[in-house]
Amino acid sequence: MSDSKNGAWYQLWSTFFGRTWPMWVGGLVLATLNICLFLVKYPWGGSPTYINWGQNIYKLLGLFDLKSAVPVTMHQWGLLGILTVLGAGVGALLSREFAIRIPPVGEMAKGLIGGVLMALGSTMGIGCTIGGFLSGIPALSGGAIFLAIGFAIGAFLALRYLLWEMEKAPKLSSGKSVTLLAAKGKGGIWQPILGVILVAFLLIGPSVLHRGDMVLTWFAIIGLFLGFVCQRSRFCVTRAFREPFMTGESEAPLAVMAALLVGIFGFTVIKYMGIGGAFPGGAREIALKAVYPHFWLRALIGGTIFGIGMVIAGGCAVGTLWRMGEGQIKLWFSGLGFSLMAPISIKYIVPGWSKILPSWAQKQCFLPDYFGYWGAVLLLLVIITLWFVFVKWNERTGKFSAV
Amino acid sequence: MNADETLDCKGLSCPMPILKLAKAIKAMESGKVLELLGTDPGSKTDIPKWCEKTGNEFLGMEEEEGVAKYYIKKA
Repeated sequence: MSDSKNGAWYQLWSTFFGRTWPMWVGGLVLATLNICLFLVKYPWGGSPTYINWGQNIYKLLGLFDLKSAVPVTMHQWGLLGILTVLGAGVGALLSREFAIRIPPVGEMAKGLIGGVLMALGSTMGIGCTIGGFLSGIPALSGGAIFLAIGFAIGAFLALRYLLWEMEKAPKLSSGKSVTLLAAKGKGGIWQPILGVILVAFLLIGPSVLHRGDMVLTWFAIIGLFLGFVCQRSRFCVTRAFREPFMTGESEAPLAVMAALLVGIFGFTVIKYMGIGGAFPGGAREIALKAVYPHFWLRALIGGTIFGIGMVIAGGCAVGTLWRMGEGQIKLWFSGLGFSLMAPISIKYIVPGWSKILPSWAQKQCFLPDYFGYWGAVLLLLVIITLWFVFVKWNERTGKFSAV
Repeated sequence: MNADETLDCKGLSCPMPILKLAKAIKAMESGKVLELLGTDPGSKTDIPKWCEKTGNEFLGMEEEEGVAKYYIKKA
């Protein structure tokens, strides 16, 4: 009897931590958590985290007159980002996958440059792979479609660069690397133990610290789960856009499609019903959440720059956060580059950039305004179906795949 | 497990291990075995999948001292 009990517990543990979750499971859970975030206040976003972090870094350094920056622990996105990193750390510890992985110097430089490009892309194009796309498409935003096209173009270009780099500058991705604190044999049991302690602290901590502010509390708790689920399923939007041009495998694109479908369903219910908008003009305000004024050229250009950055860095805004949590130092440099560049871009580049672009290139396009709710949903379903057909055809034929 | 060639991908994260693996396998003769050393957790699923898709044989993985060793036989 004791053996069977041990067996059941072992199976339970093994299901969650013994192996990587199917990525589509991650997509479904993350989309559900995103709907929860929308119900709490606002759909999921990645780049606002770095903007807040960067503003606080410059505030600390006394640069760029950012004295009014909201402290990280009091800012919904700043806090959510930290908890996403910690949630991923918990996932990595519980599954004994945590380690400080210091890559060759060239890789750290690529992380930094990739982060800078993502900061430029997300501020110039308004939105990253999460806020602009994974939330933007369910938010029925027309600009999100062009942002996605930009990501694909950027991913293609950056992959060509990486292939060129391997031939012409292989030293950039080779050299001394160091791995610290990896779980080794039976001695690695400290990782799950630390993971359990950390998760207990992180679940209790936010509700105690922000007892008076339930929005912050929920952002913290959901952020923790977002990071955990991302790490366990290795959910990666970068991969969804890069892989058709690299190996041709369809796992990541299908996981993102699953997330989009659940998101479209949940967001449409919230927007159609105007849930949370019981105040004058509230229903319209709810309907326009995560619909940014970047249709179409602004999203396309910003998305392309972001797409280049995410492939060079090896993770998008959220891909960077959860890989930071499992100890990948390259992505710490990506996060640093993103954080340092984003406030500068907002202050010095975006104002001029938005003046240069004509108004027709940066419109706020809420698809139901043009097609009605059902027409908008149908349009998006057709686009996702076409993407699915392309991805599966390419997986079979390898027409667009490089390796 | 004995290997004919070793590819060091320690410290590298996605997508570099797969890109380097594809390049190394391309340069090898059929039937030769490549040992890839890696530290990216993602490689545990990526490398077997890539082998399955490209027809190369994934012989297995060993892990010691925080470094995973993957063995791939070129088709």
